[in-house]
Amino acid sequence: MTAHSTKKHGSLLVKDARTQRRNNAELWFRAYGLTAVIVGILALVVLLVSIFSNGISAFQQTKLMITLELPEAKLDQKGQRDLDVMKKVTTIAYSKILGNGLIDQLDRLGIATDLKDKDVREILSKESAATLRDVVLADPSLIGTTVTMEFLVNGRIDGYFKGRVDRASAELDKNVKPGQLDIADALTEHGLMYTQFNLDFILAPDASDQRPEAAGLGVAILGSIYMMLVVLFVALPVGVAASIYLEEFAPKNRLTDVIEVNISNLAAVPSIVYGILGLAIFINMAQFNQSSPLVGGLVLTLMTLPRIIIPARAALKSVPPSIRDAALGVGASRMQTVFHHVLPLAAPGILTGVIIGLGQALGETAPLLLIGMVAFVREYPAAFTADAGLFGEASTALPVQVFNWTQRADPAFVERASGAIIVLLVFLLIMNALAIFLRRRYERRW
Amino acid sequence: MTDLPIKISARNVDVFYGAIHAIKSVNVEIADKMVTSFIGPSGCGKSTFLRCINRMNDTIDVCRVTGDILIDAEDIYDRRVDPVQLRAKVGMVFQKPNPFPKSIYDNVAYGPKIHGMARNKTDLDEIVEKSLRRAALWDEAKDRLQEPGTGLSGGQQQRLCIARAVATEPEVLLMDEPCSALDPIATAQIEQLIDELRSSYSVVIVTHSMAQASRVSDRTAFFHLGELVEYGDTSHIFTNPSDKRTESYITGRIG
Repeated sequence: MTAHSTKKHGSLLVKDARTQRRNNAELWFRAYGLTAVIVGILALVVLLVSIFSNGISAFQQTKLMITLELPEAKLDQKGQRDLDVMKKVTTIAYSKILGNGLIDQLDRLGIATDLKDKDVREILSKESAATLRDVVLADPSLIGTTVTMEFLVNGRIDGYFKGRVDRASAELDKNVKPGQLDIADALTEHGLMYTQFNLDFILAPDASDQRPEAAGLGVAILGSIYMMLVVLFVALPVGVAASIYLEEFAPKNRLTDVIEVNISNLAAVPSIVYGILGLAIFINMAQFNQSSPLVGGLVLTLMTLPRIIIPARAALKSVPPSIRDAALGVGASRMQTVFHHVLPLAAPGILTGVIIGLGQALGETAPLLLIGMVAFVREYPAAFTADAGLFGEASTALPVQVFNWTQRADPAFVERASGAIIVLLVFLLIMNALAIFLRRRYERRW
Repeated sequence: MTDLPIKISARNVDVFYGAIHAIKSVNVEIADKMVTSFIGPSGCGKSTFLRCINRMNDTIDVCRVTGDILIDAEDIYDRRVDPVQLRAKVGMVFQKPNPFPKSIYDNVAYGPKIHGMARNKTDLDEIVEKSLRRAALWDEAKDRLQEPGTGLSGGQQQRLCIARAVATEPEVLLMDEPCSALDPIATAQIEQLIDELRSSYSVVIVTHSMAQASRVSDRTAFFHLGELVEYGDTSHIFTNPSDKRTESYITGRIG
């Protein structure tokens, strides 16, 4: 026998056709995968860039410092400082005083303009008269004195400082005149008009569509927090108890199979369906208040429950049976086995599921539209009142506020809506970071 | 067979997993303060039968046990028997070492705690020390009682599991292939331990190793296809089996 006859394969230094084909296939697959990842990352980058470029300016607000007299003759004719009487003076009167104060200030500073007085007044936000009125009603001793206060400027002037409005676009815009921009520039030189951090965007309630510069997220953030509390305190105990029961105690029979399948189905039900359910049960039957965080929270609880139960059951299932055997073997009851041994091991997984479920609930819009949380709410909802009960006062929520603002005409609301999305993203990031932290911190090996 | 007092007595025990007949009419009497080993090929039902003795099979929904198993002449499948109470009396050590992911101390102290055996911390410390000594683990573990039990080596973990089982003062100790996941040195240690445990407990051990059965046990039961084929003194079973199947198994022809 020669050496040649035992050699079935060719040289290892040369790739045969089949190997070459397999290598090519693998190369292509890697290329597809990499492309998919890159496309995904690019989309994310585009999204974040567009949101941040539009929205970051919502955290800045242009303000105008005005020194003005508060004439007693106009604000409190009788001079008795009686609040009930003073409250009869409307924002229209305050608006005039404020506008005249601005015109006087321009005269004092020697800023000349050929604009009509009405146009000069419009530099100020429609909200500013109300601001002044609130200050005066809070402290009537100010009447008759000269005060120096900050006021919001009109959304277009604010837009001028944020690069949204320039002289060319002002020519075409009937809501702003180039002359107003000249005045704004002059006031900026005197240090009286400036842009600063906008805490009101986070704390103030919403404002009407005529005054985007005053619109804030306060009520929406509070409403979302209230709803998350409802979801946490209802969905967490119910969801975890349900998953523990189903996983550790329930007999495996046809009924529990049906329940299991239905829980998976419920997790896939479109969220708006939960809105209809909530409308029927909580508002029509239980007669809870419309637009209230209580109803919103309960609807989101229904939606979140299956999304908590499924990961919680998976977490319980992943605890090795040997741990259960060990506990039962030393004479622990089933409940002791679950609560002393299984649950602590499953807790990080359960918590991760809960927090991700909460995150989804936080970003949910559709069911809230149906139960009236899209309402325009100017007043902070109280956590508890005798009339409305716990969380029963009308409120709105972060994602609904975004939806609401994107529907308004004024371009300044684009900035507000993007700013609100940034706030929402920050909340979600915090929650996900918390989930990761808890998982890392409490994960135990066995 | 010598006539030591009978601790466990099984009469006509049948076990079904759904439609599968896993144990067929087993009758056996296990003596107190002795080591009894169950041998047989995989799937012959020896582990299943072992798990009947402390009702661990209750956790399996489809499992059904008929017949009587008596411990100290009390039927453990009587409706009045709470399996939790039974398992404090009948301890178990499993095939794979399964310490709780807690400290060594907590592993041993858990059983006594839930059964209210210690009135205070000193009592508990005593029980832990005594149990670890019995499991021949005290010298290795005394300086690291607060370290996790899962950090021990395989053999040490298994001895920890034995310590955990004896901490509840059981009268019977069931061992389900306790050495199958261990190396020969750890196996030798466990076997020596079993030899010492015999003075205080009735030990029942399931093993795949016939050598182990012959080394540690006083009596041996051979299971085959769910039947108890032969039961008697270990020396007798290994030297002079009366059943053909036993002979085939111990000589390596089946199994």
